[in-house]
Amino acid sequence: MRSENVLSVSESARSSHAKEEREYYCAVDTGGTFTDCVVRDSEGNVVFAKSPSTPGDFSEGFFAALSVAAERFGLTLTELMARTRVLLHGTTVGTNAMVEMKGARVGLITTRGHGDALLIMRSVGRSAGLPIETLLHVSRHRKPEPIVPRHLIREVSERVDWRGEVVVPLNRDEARRAIEELLQQQVEAIAIAFLWGFVNPVHEREVRHMVQEMAPDLFVTCAHELIAKPGEYERTAATVINCFIGPKTSRYVRRVEERARSLGYRGPLLIMQASGGVAPAEEIVRAPLFTIGSGPAGGLMGSRFLAERVGHSHVIATDMGGTSFDVGLIAEGRPLSASETTLHQYTFFMPRLDIVSIGAGGGSIIWIDELSGAMKVGPESAGADPGPACYGRGNTRPTVTDADLLLGYYNPDFFLGGRLALDREAAHRAMRTVAEPLGLDVLEAADGATRIVEAHMADLIRQMTIQRGYDPRDFVIYAYGGAAGAHAVAYARELGCRTVVIPGGALASTWSAFGILSTDIQHVYEKAELLVAPFEAGRVMELFLELEERARRQLHEEGVPEDCVILQRFAEMKFRLQIHRVEVPVPGGVLTDENMRELEQAFVQKYEALYGRGSAFTAAGMEIGLLRVVALGRIGPRGMKEVALGRARKVAPRWRREVYWRELGQHRRTPIFAGEDVPPGATIEGPAIIELPVTTIVVRPGSVLTVDAYGDFILTLS
Amino acid sequence: MSSARWDGRQYPYVYGRELRIAPGLKLHTEAAERIDPITYEVIRHALWNINVEHGVTIMKISGSPICAYGHDFNPCLLDEKGDFVFFGPFLQYLSSATSSAVKWTLEYRSENPGIEEGDIFLTNDPWIGATHQSDVTLIAPVFWDGELFCWVGNTLHQWDLGGTAPGGFNPMAPDVYWEAGCIPPIKIVERGRLRRDLEEEYIRRSRMPELVALDLRAEIAGCHVARERIKQLLARYGAATVKGVMRKLQDDSERAFVRRLETIPDGTWREVGWVEWAHPDDRHVYRNCLTLTKRGDRLIFSNEGTDPQAGTLNCTLVGWRGAIMAMVSAQMLFDQMFVVEGAYRHVEFEVQPGTLTCALFPAAVSAAPALTLLQTIALSGLVISKMLACSNDPELRTEVQSCMGAPMYPIAALNGVNQRGAPYVSFLLDPVGAALAGLSWRDGVDTGGWPWDLQSTMPNVEESEWFYPILYLWRRELPDSGGAGKFRGGNAAELAFIPHGTDRVSLFTATGHCAVPGPGLFGGFPTSTTRYVLVRGTDARELMSAGRVPDRTEALGGTVELVPPKAFHIVQNPNDVFLMSWASAGGYGDPLQRDPEWVAEDYREGRITREWARQAYGVVLDEAGAVVRSETERLRLEMRRQRIGSEPKPQTATDEPEARPLAEGLKLTAGWIRCRYCDHPLASAAENYKLGCVQKRFPLQEANPHILDPKCYIEEDIEWRHYYCPKCGALLQTELARSSDAPLWDLQLDLE
Repeated sequence: MRSENVLSVSESARSSHAKEEREYYCAVDTGGTFTDCVVRDSEGNVVFAKSPSTPGDFSEGFFAALSVAAERFGLTLTELMARTRVLLHGTTVGTNAMVEMKGARVGLITTRGHGDALLIMRSVGRSAGLPIETLLHVSRHRKPEPIVPRHLIREVSERVDWRGEVVVPLNRDEARRAIEELLQQQVEAIAIAFLWGFVNPVHEREVRHMVQEMAPDLFVTCAHELIAKPGEYERTAATVINCFIGPKTSRYVRRVEERARSLGYRGPLLIMQASGGVAPAEEIVRAPLFTIGSGPAGGLMGSRFLAERVGHSHVIATDMGGTSFDVGLIAEGRPLSASETTLHQYTFFMPRLDIVSIGAGGGSIIWIDELSGAMKVGPESAGADPGPACYGRGNTRPTVTDADLLLGYYNPDFFLGGRLALDREAAHRAMRTVAEPLGLDVLEAADGATRIVEAHMADLIRQMTIQRGYDPRDFVIYAYGGAAGAHAVAYARELGCRTVVIPGGALASTWSAFGILSTDIQHVYEKAELLVAPFEAGRVMELFLELEERARRQLHEEGVPEDCVILQRFAEMKFRLQIHRVEVPVPGGVLTDENMRELEQAFVQKYEALYGRGSAFTAAGMEIGLLRVVALGRIGPRGMKEVALGRARKVAPRWRREVYWRELGQHRRTPIFAGEDVPPGATIEGPAIIELPVTTIVVRPGSVLTVDAYGDFILTLS
Repeated sequence: MSSARWDGRQYPYVYGRELRIAPGLKLHTEAAERIDPITYEVIRHALWNINVEHGVTIMKISGSPICAYGHDFNPCLLDEKGDFVFFGPFLQYLSSATSSAVKWTLEYRSENPGIEEGDIFLTNDPWIGATHQSDVTLIAPVFWDGELFCWVGNTLHQWDLGGTAPGGFNPMAPDVYWEAGCIPPIKIVERGRLRRDLEEEYIRRSRMPELVALDLRAEIAGCHVARERIKQLLARYGAATVKGVMRKLQDDSERAFVRRLETIPDGTWREVGWVEWAHPDDRHVYRNCLTLTKRGDRLIFSNEGTDPQAGTLNCTLVGWRGAIMAMVSAQMLFDQMFVVEGAYRHVEFEVQPGTLTCALFPAAVSAAPALTLLQTIALSGLVISKMLACSNDPELRTEVQSCMGAPMYPIAALNGVNQRGAPYVSFLLDPVGAALAGLSWRDGVDTGGWPWDLQSTMPNVEESEWFYPILYLWRRELPDSGGAGKFRGGNAAELAFIPHGTDRVSLFTATGHCAVPGPGLFGGFPTSTTRYVLVRGTDARELMSAGRVPDRTEALGGTVELVPPKAFHIVQNPNDVFLMSWASAGGYGDPLQRDPEWVAEDYREGRITREWARQAYGVVLDEAGAVVRSETERLRLEMRRQRIGSEPKPQTATDEPEARPLAEGLKLTAGWIRCRYCDHPLASAAENYKLGCVQKRFPLQEANPHILDPKCYIEEDIEWRHYYCPKCGALLQTELARSSDAPLWDLQLDLE
């Protein structure tokens, strides 16, 4: 086993505590339905807690969840807060503002002649990100409501060219007039985005300075400070979205911070970003953009942490909750990332983990397509409220959860640890409405629905891995989120994967919060510059040093000591006349011509590994389009205490019940195990079911479950 | 005609329902009749995903921006006879090519050299299986137990396959011999092995042979992946079950299609488009006619009345059919995952050969997709809309739409030495921004792309400035450009650039719709027109150094020079500004029916001007942009009065329960076509309703502030006609016609 990295964030925080006192690391992850909390003490003991989310003011749920966790350590909330070294948080406040289109009134100042870039949306805004069914229906295409309507867009004379040379100096009179007009329009934030402003930001800075003089308290964002690469639409969209969600997100983050301080917390508040790292609250107040879509990032980062410990280099991380199924990949030990995203039909730049989502979850509704007579599952979901029919809250249409219950996977009396009694009769009635018209019995329909949803998930995973140049059979599947345990073995089998890990066992349903606890502070610095092979080592080095200097400066300002700073260099490379950009790691330190030759080789090698042998079009010549430095600030201990493995002893089931197994074509009285009876070292052969407080693991026939020293449930498929 | 051989040599290939296939080739036809609804759904989803994976494989290996950004490719899955199962969500007009290529290969290659396991055929022959020579189609049979189970295939646009002009399109070409060669289906892969001799022959003429070779490998790999994945399905579920799913997909799509046809009365609907300049200096326009007849459960498309093939304006039957089917899919199969076979079973094509839309070998056809083919998609959308407007299914009527934007692609090709000292050749991709048309229930979409490419994506300005030595002064949506209507057509855009980092830029242009716009629908105004302009010797540079970016043509100084729709070797000097705008989308319905509040909002958001609000919509706005109600009502009444020269009847009629809608302003009751606004009977159902209307003629430039006097471009007199209800003055239909043309009978019902 690897030793854990215990690194400090701030020495002053430590000195204020009594030596013998334990210290705590808390992560709170706010979701649509529940707020999850995971707390680890300095010895590696981990507890988790769940509390309903509080959409009116999410900070209430935040502290409620913390209180529950504190109790489990025998502490009051104040005691916990006073002894907490680092408080980490995943929030959806920014994402929600964007999804619901409820944000600030934003004004945009941009280059004269180009104010329409945001409205034109490169034309593709009329269909960007639509699911296939809507994409095919062209008469329904339309662009979304503008984040900044035309009457709040102001153009000013200024121009910089691709090289960064000032072609037209900033016309300060026009700029002043633009700001005045926007202030008269009572904007709550101003975005400044000029053509090529990221190559030479002089005009963006000048205008910001003017805004700050004229309206000192206004929320202002310059494009170049968020994103430094070409593509004015995606960069401008990122900037206005940052402004759109800015005021709301900052208010929220400040509220959480103040409350934590009032409870005696003295450490930093670190917020999860979609890139898979956290950032201090101050940085998020400036750049809330980076929290958009951060929801599933925690889970993938937790998976990365676990994969490193267990030695899995290729992992498909799957998160199946009530409404959606999220998939992320880890290849060669690193989570795959992407540099743009599409939300609400807006495509914008932002570093993020590459996570793909479909509408498939426990709440997905089972229905019949009237014309073809086929059974369909989702994407419509019953959500958490009213939820599946078996919740007994008025939904009469069958869902995947109802199917799982009818097949015998779920225990009606021990769902969510017994907090919610499931109504089997209601599930049966609902399923019958679909089964009868199809000429199926209720069980066939239930089994059919799970087959369909599992096939869809397998198809999504396959598409996702193939598109990125990988073969799913080379991967281990990690499955977390409330509904994953019931279906993971089935979709793994569809894909030809041999191993499924339910990480953390009981932790699986709060895996995302646990993941946040295992992250670093992370910032991404980029420099777009066209370099043509053979590359000049001196120039590449110079550009990296520039980025690294900025990275160090920022991390130091955030209180990260030098020995906790990790800087990673990457080059985005491509062949001329070709589109695929491949990110190639670049060694640190002084770069030589030899390094440059190795870089070219590494690129060709990776290109062919991803896109097939013979696909490297070397005759066209190679280019570097962008250099990137990922800066990490290590923040604390991670993971949990290892438990001594017991002898591989036989564990006894709590009880048995009838479960339908399609592999056997029949019901079988199946052993049911309670989670607490299945300790590390245990082995159970399928068919079997393990009931944990918040999730259920279905061990299908032909699979074997073992529990490792950290409580991870590992399923091996024959 | 009787001596014509429709075999894909001089005449295009036309197939019947029965194919003549060598007896040695066994087709797999056994299909399970009953498949449980769960297995069906699982296999259906898997087949769709196999086709997606086929496309992804091509994009991956090719790495070509043409497929990644231009979407100029499409993978497909066809049954054993070459009928569609799935066709990918990329360029829709390519559909006809693959199916036709498979059928031709079955008929003409099954004997010699034979069709066997592991083979892949390649063709780019526009008379057989390609829309033009640059689109290379690969088709691969999938065998199972010695029988031909199905086909997978794809089409991918190539950088260059030789010919007299780089990129494959020469607007000077008098015939096909000037263009890249046509290759009828050849067995490029034989039993799994790529034929080196044929590959070398194929890439020999290209100016970029390595790239063409790479793309060939991409297309082959796509076929391999799809073939292997299908075989996995066959092994798991059995051939009869998978074939049963394929048949059910086709049958379900057919049922959906027929069900929609059942809501529509029999009849004939027509539309006319005008194509300009067969070659440089031509100064003439040509007619592109499209007629749609519905008879029972059949649709018949005809090109009757279309002018003879001319210069570089031609399109082959393959392209024309694909163009039509693109809109059939978009408007009638949107909920059937584009399983276009459901429609193909009920669609016939009656063509007059030797015309612009059914050119005979050796006509020049390489420009078809940018010109006549594209316009045919627009016309197809219009005739289908006219037909759907007669449906008694209100949901189906929501698919009714006016003319799409950019109904011909404005090619503006640039070349010279770039800012880094390297030579470059390219053409601007900005016009893919196009615009979506006004619908029967809402406005079109400004710069909303095309209806047949669901994800058209404009390059960023920074992307173009990065690659080419130009500096964009502006790129913006053009207010007022979208066709006026009850529901407005989407606005188009305009761009302007100066050379930057070079001493000159050389340009050539090729397009249409510079003189004559695309039609509007049901009283909606036409599209705007395409325009290329060089403003010579401007003050742009001085203004810029003085801290002012000029953002209007008027601010530039200099002299304005119109660049014709087909022009060569235009040189842009450092002080010259090149401007280009493309045709917007057409409007739907009488603009006087538009809610004045919508007009006001358009004005406040900079989408129209106050002058145009008054002139086209009869809406009076105050300084702040608010509607002046009383004046608006007075003005609108006055406009209706002027239309018909008498006091207009109030527009208070409502549809009777038994009335059948025929158009935005027309309905059928008791054997009469009536005005929907005032119930006035215009004509008996057997007559052209336009003859019962008040007709007025206007110059084209009154249709849109962005249309120039057509005399700038062409010799012919094309006029814009209005047809009004003689009683209430509602604008019921408009048309674009030569002054000598009779009113187009665009709605002709068959009455039993």
